[in-house]
Amino acid sequence: MAYVPLWCKSNFSFLEGAGHPEDLVEWAHGLGLPAVAVTDRDGVYGAVRAHVRARELGIRLLVGAQVAVGGRPLVLLAADRDGYANLCRALTDLWRTGRLDPGRLCERARGLLALWTGGQGLWTLREAFGDRLYALAARHRAPGEPRAEAALRRAARRAGVPVAAGVEVLYPVSERRPLQDVLTCVRHKVTLAGAGRRLRPNANHALPEPGAFARLFADDPAGAARTREIADRCGFDLGQLRYRYPEERLPGGATPSGRLRALTWEGARRRYGGRVPAAVREQVQRELAVIDELDYGGYFLTLWEIVRFCRDRGILCQGRGSAANSAVCYCLGITAVDPVRMGLLFERFLSRERAEPPDIDLDIMHERREEVIRHVYAVHGPDRAALVATTVRYRARSAVRDVGRTLGLPDTALDRLCRAVSGRGPVDAGAVAEAGLDPAAPALRHLVRLAGDLLGFPRHRSTHPGGFLLGHEPLHRLVPLEPGGRAGRTVIQWDKDDVEALGLFKVDLLGLGALSQLDRAFRLLEAHRGLRLSLDRIPPDDPATFDMLCAGDAVGVFQLESRAQMAMLPRLRPRTYYDLVIQISLVRPGPIAGGMVHPYLRRRSGEEPMSYPHPCLEPVLAKTLGVPLFQEQVMRLAMAAADYTPGEADQLRRDMGAWRRTGRIARHRDRLVGRMVARGIDRSFAEGVFEQIQGFGEYGFPESHAASFALLAYATAWLRRHHPEVFLCSLLNAQPMGFYSPATLVDDARRRGVRVLPADVCHSGWDSALESIPGRPGRFAVRLGLRTVKGLSRDRDARAVLAARGRAPFAGPGDFARRTGLGTRALRLLAEAGALNSLEPDRRAALWEALGRPPRRPDALPLPAPPPPGLPPLGPGEAIRWDHAATGLSPRGHPLEPLRDLLAGRGLPDARAVRAARHETRLGYAGMVICRQRPAAAAGVTFLTLEDETGFVNVVVWKRVADRHGALLATATVLGVTGRIRAERGVVHLVADRLWDPGLPPVPAPASRDFR
Amino acid sequence: MDRTACVDLPALPLQVLLLGRPGWASGPAAVVGRGRIRWANRAARRAGVRPGTGHAAAVAACPALRAAPVAAAEIATARGRALAVLRGFSPAVEPAGGAAGTFWLDATGLERLYGSVDRWAREVAGAVEALGLRARIAVGFTRFGAWAAARAGLGRGRVVFADPGQEGAAVGRVPLARLGLAPGLTTTLERLGITTVAAFAALPAGGVRERFGPEALRLHRLATGRAWAPLVPPPDTALPVAAARFDHPEDRTDRLLFRIKERLDPLLRQMAGRGEAVAELRLGLGPGREERIRPAAPACDGRRLLDLVRLRLEAAAPAGPVEELRLTAVPVRRQPVQVELFAARPRRDPDAAARALARVRAELGNGAVVRAVLRDAHLPEARFAWEPLDGPLPGPRPRAVGMRPVVRRLLDRPVPAPEAARAPTVAGPFEVSGGWWHREVRREYRFVRGPAGLWWVFRAGGRWYRHGEGP
Repeated sequence: MAYVPLWCKSNFSFLEGAGHPEDLVEWAHGLGLPAVAVTDRDGVYGAVRAHVRARELGIRLLVGAQVAVGGRPLVLLAADRDGYANLCRALTDLWRTGRLDPGRLCERARGLLALWTGGQGLWTLREAFGDRLYALAARHRAPGEPRAEAALRRAARRAGVPVAAGVEVLYPVSERRPLQDVLTCVRHKVTLAGAGRRLRPNANHALPEPGAFARLFADDPAGAARTREIADRCGFDLGQLRYRYPEERLPGGATPSGRLRALTWEGARRRYGGRVPAAVREQVQRELAVIDELDYGGYFLTLWEIVRFCRDRGILCQGRGSAANSAVCYCLGITAVDPVRMGLLFERFLSRERAEPPDIDLDIMHERREEVIRHVYAVHGPDRAALVATTVRYRARSAVRDVGRTLGLPDTALDRLCRAVSGRGPVDAGAVAEAGLDPAAPALRHLVRLAGDLLGFPRHRSTHPGGFLLGHEPLHRLVPLEPGGRAGRTVIQWDKDDVEALGLFKVDLLGLGALSQLDRAFRLLEAHRGLRLSLDRIPPDDPATFDMLCAGDAVGVFQLESRAQMAMLPRLRPRTYYDLVIQISLVRPGPIAGGMVHPYLRRRSGEEPMSYPHPCLEPVLAKTLGVPLFQEQVMRLAMAAADYTPGEADQLRRDMGAWRRTGRIARHRDRLVGRMVARGIDRSFAEGVFEQIQGFGEYGFPESHAASFALLAYATAWLRRHHPEVFLCSLLNAQPMGFYSPATLVDDARRRGVRVLPADVCHSGWDSALESIPGRPGRFAVRLGLRTVKGLSRDRDARAVLAARGRAPFAGPGDFARRTGLGTRALRLLAEAGALNSLEPDRRAALWEALGRPPRRPDALPLPAPPPPGLPPLGPGEAIRWDHAATGLSPRGHPLEPLRDLLAGRGLPDARAVRAARHETRLGYAGMVICRQRPAAAAGVTFLTLEDETGFVNVVVWKRVADRHGALLATATVLGVTGRIRAERGVVHLVADRLWDPGLPPVPAPASRDFR
Repeated sequence: MDRTACVDLPALPLQVLLLGRPGWASGPAAVVGRGRIRWANRAARRAGVRPGTGHAAAVAACPALRAAPVAAAEIATARGRALAVLRGFSPAVEPAGGAAGTFWLDATGLERLYGSVDRWAREVAGAVEALGLRARIAVGFTRFGAWAAARAGLGRGRVVFADPGQEGAAVGRVPLARLGLAPGLTTTLERLGITTVAAFAALPAGGVRERFGPEALRLHRLATGRAWAPLVPPPDTALPVAAARFDHPEDRTDRLLFRIKERLDPLLRQMAGRGEAVAELRLGLGPGREERIRPAAPACDGRRLLDLVRLRLEAAAPAGPVEELRLTAVPVRRQPVQVELFAARPRRDPDAAARALARVRAELGNGAVVRAVLRDAHLPEARFAWEPLDGPLPGPRPRAVGMRPVVRRLLDRPVPAPEAARAPTVAGPFEVSGGWWHREVRREYRFVRGPAGLWWVFRAGGRWYRHGEGP
């Protein structure tokens, strides 16, 4: 007779359970069990995954958790919705205080079943739980167990508590026992050889077959039968969670729906200058009807409130992602793209069929995101607002390290093996051999097998950077809350997939550096040029801006600055905003892998005629010249050519996003291809479309997302073209962000005529700033801020400098040290950065003085210091090296500039000459490496960006060449390349035959962007 | 004029590593410690591996890199061997502190013994290199000069300065980076443009002290000749030894004991004069045989020691006539014991017990006295281990037992018991399995009714074994 396993821990009992929650459910279903409990340690982390799988398989899931009371496990199961709320509350208490107080637990006993496994507190529990308390006799045929069970039965008999039979399930099948041993060792930070009795004594913690369970409890059939009784008493299902979104405090008794309508129409009139176009009106009405029907009005109002908060405080923000498909979001000011004008698909955002909460991601200028998060907590409170968790999972290298350490392998061997395996695996014997280790050695055979099994296992929980769950009622009735990293923050025990699977609302508040940059740029323009600009006031369709982009000149431009984007710009030649939307979407792994780039470019340049396999596809694909580039197009295509409903089309989009993981896309193949063929579309095209869907589904952009980003890309490009000094200054102040290091940004700006002045204690503030150029009215130089001096503290050091300077100018280095009271370290940093040059032009002398013991008190007697000894002056190359060492950049020149004569003497051209070289010219070049990339789709080809004082050289290194020069390629600061020029449509690459070390004097190592 | 020499064994840990792994010398190799590269050979450095780099990053830069840690004891052994060799060449040898392979030698007057200082230096270097260690030697007139010249490897690793002027000029040109100074000091001086010893020496002493601290000032004073420090050879730590070679090999134990006594008594007198007692007596009886005898407590009493020697020799007499005898005493400082006239005598006499155990060890061997220690494991035989009892006898520490064990007697090793298959089971089965990472064990234990009481048996690999007995 079937039993019900009541005590099962999945791998979400971190580093204890050795089976995915889905696996436990599947095995229980396979064994013909009517139900299974998932009772993770101190949480309900794995419950949602188990719930989803149980719902698919039609097996009942009991939701519970294992907690510790009096040092012994106590299993809690939710009998009803109240019980589940109490479980969440008890777990929240546990995480808040670090332990579960038995008294507090007993207060929350309503609706909970408790399974006592021994130890203290039986009578207290008996009193609180009454007939919902059972003693759990768990058997694993371990020595010593019968005595403990006998004691448990005696105590239970005295207290009148019925005994249920059980097994502590840690893995679905006993073959997983070694993995469980390894996880135990990782948890306790010991090796297998030294783990002793921390390991379980045998492999009897698998899910037993019904027959085996009956044999195990042959002496107590009543206990075995009681498992079903307990399961029958557990009527709670996660599907019962009814989530109510917090209703805002609405004025004058308005309903959320009414308030949303009023705000939307008000916003529409503002957006369209009082005359809302008919198409917009129709779209807004349609959207509001869907929102009303699904009762999502409160969610939009909350987003509107956050956006309003940002606007009121001058915090730049912009909705991204599928929200840009919504006219309501546009009218509310949440997004900046007009979806009606762009022809964006609302169903990508929200649909009746799906009835899932919309997903609105709000980009906020990264410097002030914290203010917005604090505001959300202030409005909703830490009980009603909590951050979503993220699950950190084992990948190949972490699995190799943890398994290897438990096996006692030396770190040096693990370092080698980690080097040989790629991040996503697999961990196989080939990698072991490549690491110079013996794959036949027993320890390494275990390592390969167990590290492979461990891939994808959760290792620990972390906090999502900005994903919020907001609730009308306290969230701890819905999910346990844990304290966040900062005081006053709370984190739920579920990640975004769990939240999505349960249909809960989430708000993503994401930090975006580009918005910080734009905010700073707008303020600089207003302060220095009297221009009041904002995102929607930047002159559109500016030809000069597009000319610049067509030349592939886009260093620092949001989304267009990467090596691959800059190489594409001269080929795509964008002339409109929508071209930028396409440009951003095209240079993505999905379209590249889907083979869409070249057909699009050929059609755009007129080399290939535009054609549609069926007239019904023309409206869908016309704007991308017949080539599907966006997720929305795939949805429309399915709707137009294969009769998908909007909701089904969205499911197709979701399935293609997850096809590698689940294979769910396969079920669309027959339907999509079959119906397209039935409509007269050529089968080869239909199958080609399906392949493309597979190719870019996971990595393709939705059009709406690209449209939001293209706005920012255009804005930053316009700034770069027309106000390069403002562009540079704002970009430096918004660091860290973007693709390039500040050094490259400064060098690029200098090449474009921007004057950059070094940080100086007599002139600089904390941020970089614009400074009038004497004798050139209306022209500004960028004065680097003290923030560029590495290691200088803003609150302590910079504040002291600015305060002392505000009182009186500095008379000399001694006066500076005395009045600022800075310590030796700060003085040294400033001296090395050249920030004391106004006071002591010789940087070595300034450093010598800085290293001397500075006066501790500002009112110390200004005694004359002994003169510095004769120190050799800095040469130009050294000055640049010092700049790089102290600030990571140099306003004085590029590190290769002083070496140009030496390089020219060796017959090596500069970057400008390389870019001007003819197609197929063979030449040698030496430049500083600022970027190394090896895209997964490029079959081992490495792309390098080399730089000198005249610009960039793009280098292509084929795999065979890269293999020959591996160490040099990976580590060289300055690299010599011999190869052949490939120049096509304004794009110049140097294809390397050979790499070499140019053997130059020391050059500072720039912050190269390597293999990211 | 006094001559001072310095012998430097560059990158000693790396040399020790490659001595143990000669196959690694041809490729990139490095010493790793706490996950970071500490020393790297030329091939590794050429491939971008630098000291201070994390090992993982070093492997990424140089996939062919071979790296391993080197124990401090291995380095100390190599230093000790080098020191022993150098002591044969100079009356005063001072090793540098820490793990550095640097030694100062007094070379004054040795040219009369070796013909020339140059020849002496060559022989010193040759003797150290015979140990498999690469050495640099400089013979000069000051400690600093010789050290700087040796560290910098002047004269391709062997240099003899003719006069102090020559030494000063040559050392002045030595780059500071080659002296192996503290990295922070070298870097800061380099940033100030101070890259040679001469430039460093030209700095004002007060400025050096103020900016770089007392250690840099000491170096500065040495470099400028304002400081002088005599060689301080470490005390010779050789153990007291008495040895004899017999003209007529001794084949009788009683006579051998008499001869041992003849040599032991003066040895003990010599040690007593230094306030020392014998913690262990090593008795060498020719090639391949050495007995180690430990008294119950550090002893100066020859009779008690000789009694223990007698027990050992009677229990295991020499295989043949003894031709040579070597007594080595491991000394410890004697601790004065205050006699307490009116102290109550304890019921148990731990000293007497220790003496008895010392006699047991002497008769049956040093490993004969053991005690059981508990281990954390699942397998019964792995839950305790025997370890030699070397120190004083610990007092009794009885502990309450919560659950009395059913197994009263555990067999030293399980014995086959096929009859257990038919014996009626009283309790069980219980399963113990594990060790899959080394040698997998699967046992199914149960208690069965044996012919004369309860048996604790298990089945493994289809066979039955008896592992213990119950009441």
